[in-house]
Amino acid sequence: TAGNKIFHFGACRVSMSTTEIRAGFTAIKANIQARDPIRTLSILSYPHSLHKVQSSDRCCITHHLFNFYVDKVFKHCKTEDSFVNRKISSIANSFLSMKRKLGQCHEQNQCTCGQESTEKYKQILANYEGLNVTSAAMKSLGELDILLDWME
Amino acid sequence: SGELYCSLLNPRNVRFESINMKNVLHWSAPEGTGNGVLYKVKYSVYGVGKWIRKPECRNINRTWCDLSSETSDYEEQYYASVKAFLNGMFSDWVETSRFNPLTDTKIDPPLVSVSSTDKSISIVLTAPEKWKRSPEEESVSLLQVYPGLQYNVSVLNKKTKKRWFFSISNHTLVVPWLEPGTAYCVSAQIHVSTPLLDSGFSKEHCIATLKDK
Repeated sequence: TAGNKIFHFGACRVSMSTTEIRAGFTAIKANIQARDPIRTLSILSYPHSLHKVQSSDRCCITHHLFNFYVDKVFKHCKTEDSFVNRKISSIANSFLSMKRKLGQCHEQNQCTCGQESTEKYKQILANYEGLNVTSAAMKSLGELDILLDWME
Repeated sequence: SGELYCSLLNPRNVRFESINMKNVLHWSAPEGTGNGVLYKVKYSVYGVGKWIRKPECRNINRTWCDLSSETSDYEEQYYASVKAFLNGMFSDWVETSRFNPLTDTKIDPPLVSVSSTDKSISIVLTAPEKWKRSPEEESVSLLQVYPGLQYNVSVLNKKTKKRWFFSISNHTLVVPWLEPGTAYCVSAQIHVSTPLLDSGFSKEHCIATLKDK
């Protein structure tokens, strides 16, 4: 795919392209973030930024987050705007393929989960469950650039 | 009896304008207001609870406020907000959209320096620096902020009008097999693929290859 890059998550090396996800998200970012009125909470960054995660835990956290977005976010982000909906489903499809690729590492035990990543993911779920599903999903979608910035 | 409630129209088009992560909040005056309107500014880090006032932008009559220092951590995202005052009336707080310094900044073109021999020209490119608080502060090149940063270089033979394009990650480029005694013009652009950020092209730097010995 255009813009494929090798991502290093500890021992796991995955060739992926985030270019399409970035482009899709940039196209709907203002629309999605405008639907999130809560400034005081971040799903991914509260209380600590993803950037504080140790590199040894990067693979596990990324694997968790891909599952999180596929299982708990995209399906709850229907809008009245067909353009936005199309972009969301295109992003979701890209996530599915990235999830599969990272899953292979997980199966080959190259994606070990330390305490930090487990704790961090629990915190993300707690932040998510602290809101109603639609608000939590829309806020998570609006934070996609936080995930991408950290991944890249 | 009802209290007369006079409110001022809101500031308009409140947004961040950012170049090389010099992040300046800009807005337009409320519609129909002339001089005399004053403003105050506050900002917040996304995901953190509180709004923080910017003292240097309190009761100002200009329509911008430099928040570079407050938004210099590009691993965070921000909101800013402006309120207008005039003769005891005041507007609502008007907010920006969420500002991500990493993806929402614009990048200046690279610095270009060229030298030549009889059959080649050497090009050295320098990426701009990230905004810094003071000249004494350590410089951070945007190359460190965007590790995938590349340069697109254009080389034009002024005589034949033939143009070559190069896309390089390295900051130096030697273009060989050129014609002696000929003028060539070089221009360069910065390209970051993720997040997608392109600078404009630099102005042209022209140089002539040396004449044949």
